[in-house]
Amino acid sequence: MRGMRMVLRKKRIGPIVEVFPRKQRLCLLAFQRGCQTRPVHTAEAEIQPLLNADNGTQTDPQDHLIYQLPPKGELRPESPGLRDFLHRVEDMVVKELASNAKSHAFDGFDVNWEDQNETVSCIHCLQHPSAQEKGLQVTSISWSCTGSVIACAFGRVDDGDWSTEKSCVCTWNLDRRGLNPKRPDMVIDVARPVMSLSFHPSQPSLIAGGLYSGEVVVWDTNRTQDLILAQTGMSTDTHREPVYQVAWVPGPRRGEMVVLSAGSGGRVLLWTVDSDEGRLVLSAGFALIRQQVPHNSALSKNRGSSNVGVTSLALSPWDLDTFLVGSESGLVLKCSFSAQTLAAAPPDGESVTLRAPAQFSFSPRGGPVHSLHCSPFHRNLFVSVGTDGLAHLHSLLQPDPLLSLRVSDSYVFGVRWSPTRPLLFAAATGQGLVQIFDLGRKSLRPAATLDQLTGGQPVYCLEFNPRRKDLLAVGNADGSVNIWHLSTELTEQGPRETAKLEQLANEVAE
Amino acid sequence: IATFLGRKLQPRPQNEVEETLKRIQGQKGVQGIIIVNAEGIPIKTTLDNSSTVQYAGLIHQLVMKARSTVRDIDPQNDLTFLRVRSKKNEIMIAPDKDYFLIVIQNPSD
Repeated sequence: MRGMRMVLRKKRIGPIVEVFPRKQRLCLLAFQRGCQTRPVHTAEAEIQPLLNADNGTQTDPQDHLIYQLPPKGELRPESPGLRDFLHRVEDMVVKELASNAKSHAFDGFDVNWEDQNETVSCIHCLQHPSAQEKGLQVTSISWSCTGSVIACAFGRVDDGDWSTEKSCVCTWNLDRRGLNPKRPDMVIDVARPVMSLSFHPSQPSLIAGGLYSGEVVVWDTNRTQDLILAQTGMSTDTHREPVYQVAWVPGPRRGEMVVLSAGSGGRVLLWTVDSDEGRLVLSAGFALIRQQVPHNSALSKNRGSSNVGVTSLALSPWDLDTFLVGSESGLVLKCSFSAQTLAAAPPDGESVTLRAPAQFSFSPRGGPVHSLHCSPFHRNLFVSVGTDGLAHLHSLLQPDPLLSLRVSDSYVFGVRWSPTRPLLFAAATGQGLVQIFDLGRKSLRPAATLDQLTGGQPVYCLEFNPRRKDLLAVGNADGSVNIWHLSTELTEQGPRETAKLEQLANEVAE
Repeated sequence: IATFLGRKLQPRPQNEVEETLKRIQGQKGVQGIIIVNAEGIPIKTTLDNSSTVQYAGLIHQLVMKARSTVRDIDPQNDLTFLRVRSKKNEIMIAPDKDYFLIVIQNPSD
């Protein structure tokens, strides 16, 4: 509008409207308005990834690329003269291959590099008279990694009561001249019965043992004074029940081995050896709780503790993460060392959190599973034996057994695959016999039976010698350890055995 | 149709070397083929890495020993073929100045 002016005087702030002289007065209205958005909501939050992983990628160097566009008209540069060389030799090689396939020249031709042994014989019967007088039984045996020393643990298997009986671990060196079967080279006195034993896989002087009281001890046979290198002692970490299995497993650091112990309290614990302090320090633990066992068939609800007591354990030589557990109630479980689920056990003052390792459950047996062993020739096969007198051949991939063999009418306490013949395994029975089965044979009867001459007393454990393939050590309830020399038939691998084993493993149980 | 970055690839010209190896591999019972150069380094193989390296190293030494044995007996003679028969299979080696061809066959397969 004409004449409208807005004037800002110096002192005042804000728009000011000058009122014009009368003739030009115009009414002007000024309004002051403000506006703003609705209140802006802000919040502070932090995030952090739970799992970190480092990863790198890189392209492959040029010549490894699959899709490499060939330069126009040229072949990929190759070793000079290779084409001509192959041209020269091809006909000759193909002719030889064809005639070799048809040839009968070598039929029935066998070479004897080593002495053929037709018979199976017991070459040593090792005893410790003072242990035998006390009526102690051999509960576990182990060969050293060199194959020359056998150690045996004395204790009791049939005694259900809490035992405070003193026992011992004896070792004999079979390669020493002047071996006296009645006098062990070394006797380690132990305050409690020893239930399980295991030599270190690379250091021939270390032996790990599991006691009836739940303790785990590592002895060093090189020492002169106190042979105990490390022990768990009776702390809140130890097992409260007998330790039925000890083994050495690779530890987190390269070259380090830790002791694994499993007991009837349902705990599988891993201990690192602290030789300075003389202690076994708990580094990881697993607890097997019945409610956390995956089952594919209804398991009867037993009254009693919810712990799954472990009576046997087997490590897989193919997959360092897998281990198998056999329980007192007949369960056979496939477990993993890297399982992350927490165990549903009430914390009992242990220094590490226990995890639940069970991943898969195989069809349950009718009684405690005394022994499990994974096949050294096939990654999916394992054999299990128990009090029902049967040996079940299982594949890791399915719950039902592939094959069921009747080993004996009484209990079967131990089973081991042969380290040289893929189709052979040996089982120790409660009647004092070791039955050796050959899966390549058509009949299901044993290929050989070794009578331990214990007068019908059970055989509790057996182990093949890791270095000398023809030796088998057997531990008996009468306190003796028999060393058997097997025949060539039982130790020499036949042609196509691995293929036959593969075929067996691929059969699907009906 | 194989494409890479949207462009159609020409099929790689099948080269004679591959063809020859395929023909040999197709013979009855052949378990593996390795071609080793004069220094004992494997340049082509149908087996896994660790077996290849093992075979290449051991067989190279054996061929050298066999060749020197033949030439020591008669300097005018030379090794043309070597066969090592074992319980489980047979290894055939065709030696040459620059390369060896190693074929592992199980005749009863």
